[in-house]
Amino acid sequence: MFDLDSRAISVSASQANRVRLTMSGTLLNDFIAAHLYESGPRLATVFTPDIYNDNLQTFHELFEPIGLPDDLRDKVFLPNKKQLKVSKAEQKVWVEVFVEYWKAVNELFMYQNRQPGASAVVIFNAWKKFVNVLIRGYSSPSSFPAWTLPCLYISGKYLRVFAIKADAEVVSQGSASFGFQDDLAADFEKNGNLEEAARIMNRMFTLCLSDRAPIEDSRKWGIYNTTNLLFKTYFKINSVGLTKNLLRAINAQSHDLPRLEAFPKSHIVTFEYYVGVIHFLDENYIEAEKHLTSAWRMCHRQALKNRELILTYLIPCHLVTTHTLPSPRLLAQFPRLEEFFRPLSNCIRKGDLVGFDRAMTAGEEEFVKRRIYLPLERGRDIALRNLFRKVFIAGGFEEAKDGQPPIRRTRVPVAEFAAALRIGTHATARTRVDTDEVECLLANLIYKGLMKGYIARERGIVVLSKNNSAFPGTGV
Amino acid sequence: MSSSIPPWRATASVHSAPTAFPTSATPAYIPVQARRSLNHNKPTYPTTNGTTNQNPSSPADAAQPRVAFPPPVRSYVQRCFAPENEIPSVGNTEMQEKLRQVITDAAESGRLHTIDWDKLQLPQVMIQNERNKILANPSVSSWAGTSQPSSPADASRKRKSTDNLDPSGSASPPWRKTNNRNRFEDRVTYPTTGKKNHIKLDESSKSKANLEMRRRRFEGAGVNYGNPSTSSPIDSPRPEVDQGPVVGRSPTLEKNYFRLTSAPNPDTVRPLPVLKKTLDLLKKKWKKEGNYGYICDQFKSLRQDLTVQHIRNEFTVNVYEIHARIALEKGDLGEYNQCQTQLRVLYAQKLGGNPTEFKAYRILYFIYTRNWTAMNDALADVTAEDKKDLAVKHALDVRSALALGNYHRFFSLYLDTPNMGAYLMDMFVDRERLSALAAICRAYKPDVQIRFITEELGFESDEQAARFVLEQSSPELLEEKQGTVKLLTGKAGLLFENAKAEAHRVVDIKGQI
Repeated sequence: MFDLDSRAISVSASQANRVRLTMSGTLLNDFIAAHLYESGPRLATVFTPDIYNDNLQTFHELFEPIGLPDDLRDKVFLPNKKQLKVSKAEQKVWVEVFVEYWKAVNELFMYQNRQPGASAVVIFNAWKKFVNVLIRGYSSPSSFPAWTLPCLYISGKYLRVFAIKADAEVVSQGSASFGFQDDLAADFEKNGNLEEAARIMNRMFTLCLSDRAPIEDSRKWGIYNTTNLLFKTYFKINSVGLTKNLLRAINAQSHDLPRLEAFPKSHIVTFEYYVGVIHFLDENYIEAEKHLTSAWRMCHRQALKNRELILTYLIPCHLVTTHTLPSPRLLAQFPRLEEFFRPLSNCIRKGDLVGFDRAMTAGEEEFVKRRIYLPLERGRDIALRNLFRKVFIAGGFEEAKDGQPPIRRTRVPVAEFAAALRIGTHATARTRVDTDEVECLLANLIYKGLMKGYIARERGIVVLSKNNSAFPGTGV
Repeated sequence: MSSSIPPWRATASVHSAPTAFPTSATPAYIPVQARRSLNHNKPTYPTTNGTTNQNPSSPADAAQPRVAFPPPVRSYVQRCFAPENEIPSVGNTEMQEKLRQVITDAAESGRLHTIDWDKLQLPQVMIQNERNKILANPSVSSWAGTSQPSSPADASRKRKSTDNLDPSGSASPPWRKTNNRNRFEDRVTYPTTGKKNHIKLDESSKSKANLEMRRRRFEGAGVNYGNPSTSSPIDSPRPEVDQGPVVGRSPTLEKNYFRLTSAPNPDTVRPLPVLKKTLDLLKKKWKKEGNYGYICDQFKSLRQDLTVQHIRNEFTVNVYEIHARIALEKGDLGEYNQCQTQLRVLYAQKLGGNPTEFKAYRILYFIYTRNWTAMNDALADVTAEDKKDLAVKHALDVRSALALGNYHRFFSLYLDTPNMGAYLMDMFVDRERLSALAAICRAYKPDVQIRFITEELGFESDEQAARFVLEQSSPELLEEKQGTVKLLTGKAGLLFENAKAEAHRVVDIKGQI
């Protein structure tokens, strides 16, 4: 989610002398160090609610909300007055942030220890308060500087995690409440907490997008990270439509934003992936391919999971736009994708319609789940094209005329295509396709530009284009 | 509502039924006119998350010519703005809003000339008086008896997941800003009668008291117009929304539909045994009279009574299924879709009914609306068991035939559609005929017989096919030769291609999930 800035991981001895580190609570030391080096990632570690982290446990044990303000003043801000560039107003908000953070963490530990009253919903609500205070820190006039943004990212990341857990808890308890709807409650309640989280994330989004500070110190650098977080959330709550609002808002501001390439790759790859998938779901495969390709190119070589996700959509895109299939070498790196696409690809290549249908049925559940069933289905046209192409090639050549190079026979009876289909589909008398249907299939291929030529219905033949262009792009 | 419209006009179009009702009327509900138009492309009816019921008279109101104001009114307006009449605690915008409302109400009730404008209270004074009343006796306007802390949240719940996520990030969501001012203000009773629940609200004064007052007034609106003379609402406190289901005690079989704006009154809600009789009655009436406007309205109130009593059983499924079928038959896709959405939830709870029949409709419906994302969800819902069902299999085959452009299969499936699927298929069959013609004209040269078109595209006769072709193109495309009519496919060019593109524009139906 965020990059650790190794630069700022440790405080060197000489600096440690200058900075008055407190003995108690290394979390606070991290906080001081993060501010000293202006290291966002390090600050983010302070606010990562990992209950197995010793530092967090110590922090939880040593402090309590009532004493925290004084402790922070005495142990953090006062001793390091000279080194830390934190204004009084800013300090005040940080104190609030720590108090709410402690409370949220407290709920986490209570939940962990199965204490009465603890629940995922309570955790979510506590974390929500923490995030709200943090957001306030950015929206107040003496705003937190932009380098602290990773802190916002991490809070948003866990907001999502806790909301999902809270929703699961609500659903498992089955406490459906009825409102004033005329009809029975639909399933819109099962994501109640996550929807609320999305609204808070939306404030983060606005916070980043609308910052007018000079770009070096602008929260605009956080725009793609927060957008990605929202994308992820909207997909989860099945409101893909809402992503369009975000894209529109970003587009409207695009003149004020740095170039896409200037952002961290980790932000951009995710962003491009989602934009690609959004277009993909709209059946806008050309745009989808563009963004997915860009994500594919920038994606870290070792991020196998991410590369697999990108390919899940990029491969069907290619099939639809350019009728190309993934190479075995590419698939070999991704066993799961290989399982998805290898049988299909083989059948398409061979023009094996029966095998294709079988492979689609076999993979249907997974394909539908990943929303790639509909584009993959279009591969059947390619398989059909390949089958008919075989008919054409089997037709051989016209008799060569006085030394001219031989020309393929371009007038092919519809009956020959029908025969090919019958062989391919092992048709019984009941399921056999009649001539009209064969013509329909031919007409479609011609209409879609996969075949060139025309059907002369009265004569029952297909007149195909000469000059090696009967099946464009396939060499014949 | 656009703010650029002069306020007098704006209100005319927003003004809705309640003001028109005499307060002495005794029905326990407001008989909102049922929708008569079956034109499914027009989004004229309220959706589940719509805000108001459409009032059939509003278009006429909007068209009313601008009213010429008599001199007393003008001088009244002048006095309103006179500095000596200013009341510091009443904001200028607030005053203007009130003034606008006073005049609008007067104009709408035709009393512009009868009111004694010289003696009428100035709007700022009205506002002040109302405030004093409320502050002095906060419970006086509580019609519902019990307070309902959860209701404002409930009222906006359906919208929040969408509207509130506007990235413009304004603190108060758009509907808050625009709607409540004029829309709800104008619904309240005539101001000069000094109704106590008539309060001017100022958005900028964020006091909770104001919100509370608005909520109460809002609650009152649904009930007090209808039954001021029936049992005092204070005697029969309605339960809070989250306190559980209402238990109805109304014995009447028929009941007009009115969208709830407050907790339902058990006196007007029919219990299950009554509802069962109602359904029988409605089935009979539908068979005999076939009055869709009436039936739809009755079914909506029937559904509402089921909902408020939390009745979810086989009977509920039955009601939704019957309403869905009737809506389907009448081509009322908005209503059909509401039922379909609810049925999906009900079937998930395994309450009986005919899930496969409706799964099939759902697939056909999404073909029609071309909603591929929803289609994907619908496909995900189909189990291996479902696929054995004739109707589901048919719908799936239709979908795949269309996806592959196999018009031959599509039209043979069209001619052999189980249940009421044909009503749905009729919605998109012409669209698909155009697609098929576009392909045929590209692929066949130089011509095809019209007979071929008739058979391939599921027309009933050659005449019907020829007529369809002529509607979309020009007479030159048809040629009679040796007793047979031919379609000159070679000359069609992009004609059908363009017609196809036109027909495939996204279908927009209100009330769709």
